[in-house]
Amino acid sequence: MKNTLRWLGVFVLLAGLPFLLGNYYNDVYRKMLLWVTLALGYNFLFGIGGQVSFSHFAFYGVGAYSIVIFLFQFHLPLPLAIVLGVALCVLVALAVAIPSTRLEGFYLALATLALAQLFVVVLNEGGAVTGGTGGLANYRLPDIFGVHITGPWYTAVIVFVLLMTLFILLKLDRSWFGRACRAVRDNPEAAAAMGINVARTKVIVFTLTSALAGVAGMAYAFVDNTVNPPIFGLENAFLILFMVIVGGSGRHAGAVIGAVLLFLLPFFLSPLVGHHHVLVFGLLVLGAILVAPKGLIGAVDFMKKKFS
Amino acid sequence: MQDFLELAVSATASGCIYGLIALAYLLMIRPTGIINFAVGEWAMVSAFGGYVFLTKYEFPYPLGMAVVIAFMLLVGWVTERVAVRPLVEKGAPLLAPVLALLGVLVITREIISVSFPPDPLPVPFPFGFGRLEFGLVAGSYQSFFIIAVTVLVFVGAWFFFEKTLWGRSFEAVSLNRKAAALMGINLSRVTSLSFAGGAAMAGLGGLLVAPNVSAHYQMGVPLAIQGFTALVIGGVGRVEGALLGGLLLAFAEQFTTRYAPIASGYTQGVPLLLLMLFLLVRPTGLLRSK
Repeated sequence: MKNTLRWLGVFVLLAGLPFLLGNYYNDVYRKMLLWVTLALGYNFLFGIGGQVSFSHFAFYGVGAYSIVIFLFQFHLPLPLAIVLGVALCVLVALAVAIPSTRLEGFYLALATLALAQLFVVVLNEGGAVTGGTGGLANYRLPDIFGVHITGPWYTAVIVFVLLMTLFILLKLDRSWFGRACRAVRDNPEAAAAMGINVARTKVIVFTLTSALAGVAGMAYAFVDNTVNPPIFGLENAFLILFMVIVGGSGRHAGAVIGAVLLFLLPFFLSPLVGHHHVLVFGLLVLGAILVAPKGLIGAVDFMKKKFS
Repeated sequence: MQDFLELAVSATASGCIYGLIALAYLLMIRPTGIINFAVGEWAMVSAFGGYVFLTKYEFPYPLGMAVVIAFMLLVGWVTERVAVRPLVEKGAPLLAPVLALLGVLVITREIISVSFPPDPLPVPFPFGFGRLEFGLVAGSYQSFFIIAVTVLVFVGAWFFFEKTLWGRSFEAVSLNRKAAALMGINLSRVTSLSFAGGAAMAGLGGLLVAPNVSAHYQMGVPLAIQGFTALVIGGVGRVEGALLGGLLLAFAEQFTTRYAPIASGYTQGVPLLLLMLFLLVRPTGLLRSK
């Protein structure tokens, strides 16, 4: 009961905030929440599951495109479109993860790099179905029970997606499965010796987090009411990885800090470096790995210990 | 038939490029276990080096090529010093240098995109643009040049690994790091050399492919994917495997483009399909290590 109230409180707080923000800041705010959602999922895959993947953002794209295509090209009802979109993410994730996790090493990283690259090609070449290089636009969220959700009210939907993702990940993290993931990350041989099916654990983590990214993508589809190929390129796949590393991999709070920081940084950096903030990110990441492998959350812990 | 043979020559040339990139991966992966995703970016840097020295300053080709390759050796050496060695010495898990190299990848790419105009930049052909015919087999000068250089490099690499003391010490390190160190092999020197050599191989690939595709800051990632796929097809255990895998991949790609009724962009899916297929059916690659 107390726990439910706490979740509800956080929801009201996060969803209430955009009503105080203007249109522009509401837009920045909800995009930030989507990045936080993505970073949380990716942190579970990379920080807790120990797998490097470059397709997290591609699955975000699969979710975004699939819901638009199912709704407006195939004219399916919203719930069915959501289910089919998730199913598509799961199928693609399984197809990539099952072969790539059979061997020790970075095969999944390379396979997902190839997948992410191919996804953009498919979007560009997809003709009328994907809208080609121009993408799809001029659609709007179907009315739900006769209500048209827009503006700050739609931000509440995104807050719901974020909290749902966090809830699922926290539950998993604190379960047998979360500990199995950490064991597989730290020492696969020992994990196998304890009776954990290493390959299956990896496949499940990858598929689950990819599906969560897909759901976040579905929420994204109605933020700008347009989806187009350039957004889903490799740059953003690297950005998610960087958010988690800079924030502190393996920690949910770290993922949140990293996502917020790296999302907001370009707004402050652009007067100084123009569009070249990615270079700054690269340097930040290299610095973090060399000097502070625990990321910003590690620094926070250190300060807490020092001053308590 | 003629069409087929012409295609075969150009596929062989592309396969050689993939083979060189695969060899770059292999040089670093065997002694260290580190997979360096930045090899594609290294090929890209070298292509831009070709633009600077051969197009802009008009160095004679052999000299320009030597300067670019020397520069790549330096790039590899510095990268190892900055992004790999501190982590290995700290005893960080293998993932740490791999991630650090991803940082290097992004930094490299951004530095190039900041320093050069965004359009593809031309890099000259060493022998100009022309056609060479041996009976039915015909292709561009560049195709034959690529094939010749790659054959030389692979013969050299094979000789290095099989016949020289240095090459054997690479083998020893890849088999068992601790034992190799106890036998008096200088691990850090082997690591330095493997990164310098890897950068040079990737750079050679980039310089050779540059006249055909022009230097562009986004050319790295596809090469990194194709090179790795070639490595998986051929098998990490043997040097020849890199070339064999590269050739197989290039033939699969070019024949799909030519004969399959799909948009040419989709051929970028061929490496992914082959990668999945080989990981499922023959994860050790075609050639087993001895």
